[in-house]
Amino acid sequence: MRTTLPFTVIGGYLGAGKTTLLNQLLTNAAGLRIAVLVNDFGSVNIDAELVRDHDGDTISLANGCMCCSLVNGFAAAIGEIRRRAAEFDHMVIEASGVADPAKIAQYGQMYELPLDGIVVVVDAEQVRLQATNKYVGDTVIRQFEQADLIVLNKIDLVSAQEQRSLRAWLAGLAPGAPLIETTGSKVPIEVLLGAHEGRVPRNASDDRAPADSHGDLYQTWTIERVAPLTSEAVQRFAQGLGEDVYRAKGFVFLQSEPETKYVFQQVGARWALEQASDWGDEPRRTRVVVIGRAGATSVRALQELVEGRSARPVISIVSEGAGDRRQPAS
Amino acid sequence: MAGSTDRREFIKKGAGTALGAAVAASLPASAGAGGTTAGRSAETIYKGDTIVTMDDKRRQVAAVAVADGRIIAAGDESEVMKTRGGATKIVDLGSMTLMPSFIDSHGHFMNAPQIVRWANVSGAPVGPIARIADFVPVLQEHVRKQGIKKGEWIIGFGYDRTNLAEGRELLASELDPAFPDNPVMLIHSSNHGAVLNSAAFKLVGYDESTKTPPGGIINRVEGTNRPAGFIMETAFLPIFGNMPQPSERELLDTLDAAQQIYASAGVTTCSEGATHAKDLAFLRKGAAEGLLYLDIVSLPLILDVPAFIREYAPDFKGGPMELPDETPQAFGFYNKHLKLQGVKFALDGSPQGKTAFWSQPLLTRGPGGEANWRGQPLFPPEVVNKALKEVFDKGVQVWCHCNGDASIDMMIDGTRAAGVKAAQDRRTVIIHSQCMRPDQLDAYAELGFSPSFFTNHTFFWGEEHMTNLGPERASFISPMRSAIAKGLTCSNHTDFSVTPMDLMRVMWSAVTRRSRAGKVIGPNERVDRWESLKALTINAAWQLREEKDKGTIEVGKLADLVILDGNPLTAAEDRILEIKAIETIKEGKSVYRRKT
Repeated sequence: MRTTLPFTVIGGYLGAGKTTLLNQLLTNAAGLRIAVLVNDFGSVNIDAELVRDHDGDTISLANGCMCCSLVNGFAAAIGEIRRRAAEFDHMVIEASGVADPAKIAQYGQMYELPLDGIVVVVDAEQVRLQATNKYVGDTVIRQFEQADLIVLNKIDLVSAQEQRSLRAWLAGLAPGAPLIETTGSKVPIEVLLGAHEGRVPRNASDDRAPADSHGDLYQTWTIERVAPLTSEAVQRFAQGLGEDVYRAKGFVFLQSEPETKYVFQQVGARWALEQASDWGDEPRRTRVVVIGRAGATSVRALQELVEGRSARPVISIVSEGAGDRRQPAS
Repeated sequence: MAGSTDRREFIKKGAGTALGAAVAASLPASAGAGGTTAGRSAETIYKGDTIVTMDDKRRQVAAVAVADGRIIAAGDESEVMKTRGGATKIVDLGSMTLMPSFIDSHGHFMNAPQIVRWANVSGAPVGPIARIADFVPVLQEHVRKQGIKKGEWIIGFGYDRTNLAEGRELLASELDPAFPDNPVMLIHSSNHGAVLNSAAFKLVGYDESTKTPPGGIINRVEGTNRPAGFIMETAFLPIFGNMPQPSERELLDTLDAAQQIYASAGVTTCSEGATHAKDLAFLRKGAAEGLLYLDIVSLPLILDVPAFIREYAPDFKGGPMELPDETPQAFGFYNKHLKLQGVKFALDGSPQGKTAFWSQPLLTRGPGGEANWRGQPLFPPEVVNKALKEVFDKGVQVWCHCNGDASIDMMIDGTRAAGVKAAQDRRTVIIHSQCMRPDQLDAYAELGFSPSFFTNHTFFWGEEHMTNLGPERASFISPMRSAIAKGLTCSNHTDFSVTPMDLMRVMWSAVTRRSRAGKVIGPNERVDRWESLKALTINAAWQLREEKDKGTIEVGKLADLVILDGNPLTAAEDRILEIKAIETIKEGKSVYRRKT
C-alpha cells in the first residue's frame, strides 16, 4: 500500500500568494511531474496552450503535471493520485486559508504517503492585520507554528525596517523554520520541493532563476563520502544545518546497515532518514545536496558537522557555488 | 405533489376562503360523492377527544375531515360531520391523539438509506447494546434479516465503549468465533473509529507489521503487535473511505425503508440538510421513479451549488461560491416530493467534537490536545461574506450551520454587511444555534434569523458541555425560551442520524433539558409543551415557507397528520418518551401503521 510519492503541504492565509506559487509550480515544473491538489479550481490560471486535457475535477498539463480539485473531498482526490503514483514525482496539497497545514499533512500521511514538508506563505503587508483578526488571528499564528519553511511574500510592499521586524516576529513564532523572503511568490522549485534525483535538469536553478536576483540569493552544496556514516553523524548533521539552510536531500551509506540504501531528507528543522532499497551493484556512498541562502554554510562547515570535532576528514568536495553550475544530484 | 397548484386554486376559491371550518361546513359537501367542485364530501373524518391542532387560535377541535389530500373541515363534530358522504370513512380516535405530523427541520436524510443496511449497535436509548455479550446476537439477527452472505461486510453503527458495562473496547477475538468468514466493522458513534474483526483486518491489510499512522490509533493485543480490534482517526478514515459502496440501484431500493424511519416516528417532512451534488442526483432519480412518498427538503451545500445549477444555467462559468442569475428558479417548489429550499452554509464543526468555533477558549484541551482551544472557522470571514452576499442578492434562502458563538458572530457580520434586515422576511435559518451568547438573540431579531435549535444535546452531551464550556455557557445552549421571549420563531431538530429519529425525545429535551445523568442543563431555558411541539410543526413549516400548507390542522392545509398513542401535552413528563406513532398520514394517505 505504501507509495514513495512525497508530498508537500502549502499553507497560508487567504491572499498570501499560494495560488500564484502553485501556478508557477505547475507551469514551470522544470521537468518534475507534479500533482497539485487545490481547493478552488477557479483561481488556478493555466495557460490554455499548456492544458492537455480538462476533465471535470482534473486538469492534465502537457508537461506531465496535473491539477486536481478537492471539491469531492480529500479522500477522493488523494485516492486517485495514489492509484497513479507512478506518473508523478511529487504531490503538492494546497491547504485552505484557515486550515491547519499540519492536519492536512496528517491526512496525507494516513494514506501512507511520505511527508516532505509544510511550506507556509505569508503576505508581508497583511499578516499583522490577519494575526490580530478576532476570527482568524489564532489560526494564522498556528499556521506559522506548523511551518517547516516560511515564504515571506510581497516584501516589496513593506519597508526594510518592517521586514526586519517581521523576520524577528516570525522567528519567534516558528523557531527553526527558515524564512525565505520574496516577491510574486517566486521561490526556486528545489527549495520548495527539494532536489529530485534524475529529474531536475542540468543547470536547473539557472534556468529558473529570474534574470535579476535568484542566482545570488540561493546556493547549493553537495557533500559526498565513501566511508559509512553512523546514525549519530546523520543526526548531528541534520540538527546543525541552521536556519539559513532550507533543504537537504540525498542518499546515506549507513554504518549499522551497510546493505541498505537510506534516503535522507530535510526541510527546515524536519528531517527523516528512511530505508529506500538495497544498494545492489551501485557504489556505496553518502551523497547529500544542501540548498540554502547564499553564503549560509560551506562544504567545510558541512563536513565538520558530519564528522564531529574529533573525526578524521574523509570527505571529498564535489561542488560549492552560487546557483550550482553542476547537476544538483546525479 | 404534482397538481398541487390546482388544489391550491381550488382551496382558494372554495373551502379555504375566510372562515375555515365554518365555511367548509356550510358548503353543500354532504350532498354526496361527485358533488360540485366546491362541495366535496370527506374521504375520512377523524373524531375524538384529543385532536391537537397546533393552531394558537384554537388549540383543540373535536373532528377533522380530509379529502383530496387536504383538510376540508376542522371544528366541532356536528360541523365537520356535514362533510360526510356515502363513502366517508369515520375514524373514532378513542383515547388516541391526532395532531399535525412532524417536520424535522434539520437532519441528514441521506444517512437513512445507508443506516437501514447497517446494524444498530448503539447503547440505550438509541440501541440495544449494554455489554460485550450483546454484540454477537444483535449482529446475527442483522445478518439473518438482511440476508448477508458469506464473505460480505457486516457493518454496525453507534459503537461506543462508554455504553458497555465492561467499560473496555470490544475485541476482534470476541467477534471472530461467530463471524469467521465475514468482515465486521462496528463504526464508533463519532464516526471517527471502529472495531474490526480478524476477517476485516485481513481484508484491509492490517496486521502486526502495520505502523500506526500519525494522528491515528490502532489498539494492539497485549504483548504483541497484532491489531486488537479498535482503530481510530487516521488509522480508520482511509479504510472507511475505501469501503465498497452500494450501487445506486441498491440505494434506491432502500428508499422505502429509509422513509419508514421517518414515517414510523410521525414525520412526513424530512430534511436533507447538507446535500452534495451526487446525493441530489440520487434523490432526483428517486423522485423521478416515484419512490418518494414523504416530502424531502434538500439544502444543497454552497460549494456544490454551481455543479447542479448548470442544469439551469449551462453557460455559467463562475467559481464555487458564485451563483448564476437563474439560481432562484431551482428553489422553493416540490417536484414529486423533492424540494430544494435554500443554500446550506457551514461555518464550524460540532461542540462535542470540539470543532465548533467559540469566542472564548474551552475549559478543557482541544481535540489534538491544544491548550486554550476555541476551535476555528471552516472558512475565512472574507470568503463567507462574499458568498453570503451572493446568495442573499439572488434571493435564495440561507441555511447556515453555526454551533459556536464566534461562528454565529461571523454569520451576523456577514449578513449585516449584505444589507439584510428582518423586515425583508428572508427567514434565514441558523442551524443548531447551540452555543449562543445572550446578546446574539438581539442580532437574530434585527436580521430576521430563525434558530433551528438542537435541544437533544442537553441529554446526549449535557455532561460534556458542562465540563468543556462551564455551567454558564452550557446552561445557555439552544436557549429556546430566551429566543421565544425575543419574538424569534424557533424550530428544533434531530440532526438525524446524529441523534435518533425520535421527535418525542426532541420534544422532551426541550421541556426538561435533562442530561443522561439526570441533571437539568439550563433550567431557565426549558419551554412549555405547546412551544416544544410548535418547534416540530408550525414553526418548522414557517422556516420552510410552507406554513400555508403544513404545521397545523386548519382547513385548506395538507392532511399531513399523525395519530399518537398518548397526548404529549398532558402525559406525565417521563411518559413523553414512551409516546409512539400509531399511524402516520401524508396528504390523506396512510404511510405508516404500527403493527399490533
